[in-house]
Amino acid sequence: MSHVLEIRNLTKKFGDFIAVDNMTLNIGEGEIFGFLGANGAGKSTTINMIASLLRPTKGEIVLLGKNIVKDSKFAKMNTGIVPQELAIYEDMTAYENVSFFAGLYGLRGAMLRERTEEALAFVGLGDKHQSFPKNFSGGMKRRLNIACAIAHLPKLIIMDEPTVGIDPQSRNYILQSVRKLNEMGCTIIYTSHYMEEVEEICTRIAIVDHGKIIAEGTKEQLTSIITDTKEIWIGFRADGAISIESLQGIAGVTAVRQEENTLKIVSKSEVNNLNRIIQQLIKDQVEIRSVEEQAPNLESVFLTLTGRNLRD
Amino acid sequence: MDRWTIGNKATVLGYIMIASFLAHLASEVNPWLILIYLLYVALNISLLIFKKPQFKRLLSALSLVLVAAGAVFWEPLLWLLLPMNICELLPSSTIGKGLGIVLIGAGGFLLPLELVPVYLLSGLLSYLLFTCSSMLSEKIRSLEGERERLRADLQRLSRSLSENNEYIRQSEYTIKLEERNRLSQQIHDDVGHAVAGALIQMGAARMMLATDQEKANELLGNAIAISKEGLERIRLTLKEVKPRPEELGINRLRLFVDELSAKGTVAATLTFEGDIDAVTPIQWKIIQQNATEAVTNSLKYAKATAISIEVRVLNKFIKAVVEDNGVGTAKVVKGLGILGMEERAASAGGTVIVDGTKGFRVTTLLPHRNE
Repeated sequence: MSHVLEIRNLTKKFGDFIAVDNMTLNIGEGEIFGFLGANGAGKSTTINMIASLLRPTKGEIVLLGKNIVKDSKFAKMNTGIVPQELAIYEDMTAYENVSFFAGLYGLRGAMLRERTEEALAFVGLGDKHQSFPKNFSGGMKRRLNIACAIAHLPKLIIMDEPTVGIDPQSRNYILQSVRKLNEMGCTIIYTSHYMEEVEEICTRIAIVDHGKIIAEGTKEQLTSIITDTKEIWIGFRADGAISIESLQGIAGVTAVRQEENTLKIVSKSEVNNLNRIIQQLIKDQVEIRSVEEQAPNLESVFLTLTGRNLRD
Repeated sequence: MDRWTIGNKATVLGYIMIASFLAHLASEVNPWLILIYLLYVALNISLLIFKKPQFKRLLSALSLVLVAAGAVFWEPLLWLLLPMNICELLPSSTIGKGLGIVLIGAGGFLLPLELVPVYLLSGLLSYLLFTCSSMLSEKIRSLEGERERLRADLQRLSRSLSENNEYIRQSEYTIKLEERNRLSQQIHDDVGHAVAGALIQMGAARMMLATDQEKANELLGNAIAISKEGLERIRLTLKEVKPRPEELGINRLRLFVDELSAKGTVAATLTFEGDIDAVTPIQWKIIQQNATEAVTNSLKYAKATAISIEVRVLNKFIKAVVEDNGVGTAKVVKGLGILGMEERAASAGGTVIVDGTKGFRVTTLLPHRNE
């Protein structure tokens, strides 16, 4: 896998304060890379440096093999940023907005018109060309914001909290478009406060705290930092005895205990044995009421490693 | 330096404007002259915006032409502005400087006679100011470069120091291994031979038990004595081999916490969770040293009444936290202490997080079970 973005010993100081501390990171082609961290952890500072909006104090950022400070024009042509704060003009039509931003990236003439229309259609605003964003809902504004960033077909798209404060429908739409952009070959950097979103769409995640990367990897790799077991809780109707021994024979199961009407089964998290457990219970003629899997999530990984909540 | 140059220009320009105004009090203001003033200001301010010397030179040359044109057609006083642009245009070498003073002097011949003294005065003063400030800013640049180099040197040295420390740690470990080898050899030599000797004597005693009881008795007595001695040797040797309990990781940390509490200034607690045995001696050492450092910091700065130390062995990380309930700090400034902790952790592939938002908290994260 070739690296779209290489970050080497990146440091950003504001006076004495170290916002980003000697960060080294590679992002491969086709990844949806998530930054997870509390407010002030250094996510936005890092992203702003990647987007050339801030100059690093030390270290370098290499996009597609070229240093983004030295080849700033190349970097800007290949990067699309969807900022946290909306960056659209309320008094220009949707079409004019996208066409304006795409024009800044150097698109002209027929190409500009074509790409503008494509971008608007992509975010589902194809029928809103001539409408003014001041009449848009929050979600539509967000989508327009995305269209402005992608019209020039960048290789790397940076999305800084793109789903803050919008309705669930628009949120789903945005998540889908992130996936679609990814399928079209874009590499995406994604930050969010919503841990569920990051878990859902990111192929790799870095946990950031105090400007450092504490851990990185897939969701599974990260949760396995804390534990390699999960608990399956099965509620059942309380009549007849349960054969615990037959469950203990199932691959991956390390312990089984019964607490009143609940069976608590401890299992290795990498083994997918839920079907076999349920089959066994059915065979033993147990009437299942509920099944619940208690696996650690990224929130608990973050809390365990840093001692802080994501929303601190 | 830029600020002084622009100040110089503003002063001379101000002088020209006032002098010109006073000289032509009765007549109407010449619009061309105002245009020249404004253009001059615009050119020389935009000069500051550009970083590239080519652009600076270009703008300076434009301003020179403007001044010359203005002086020839409308207001001879404008000649006074010439020297500063000449200074800017010339290269900063010694030859350039010499050329500057010659050119400024030569400019004096172009002027009406009554203007020459004031021209020479302002020209020379501008020249001195420009040379002086350019010399000083050159010096600052070179000092800055020097400082940067020294800092790089310092960093390199401190890295090699920490590498040496690591090497010392490693060699300590090797020495321990050698010592252990020597001891096992000693057990084999002393104790092994004693047991073998006792066995032979006992075998002989059994054979003689029927024929010569007295001799057999003597032999058995020998065997017992040898065995006793051997047992004593085993005890002695083992006492030397076995590490004292306070040297073992968590116990050492516990001792540290107890001592801390005994001093009475803070209440210290230690908790641990997970498979503590998975922590290697080197990792214990890092945890121990970082905890000592963090506690020292807390005692020095935090005004804390309680310090808690937590060691938690997770599936792939070991987490050691030192936390106090003191004043904390909104802005953590990295001193040598924190850098040292970071370096120790980094030597084992780990990181340190320092957080000052709720009291002071230092978290050392070390990976284990390297897959």
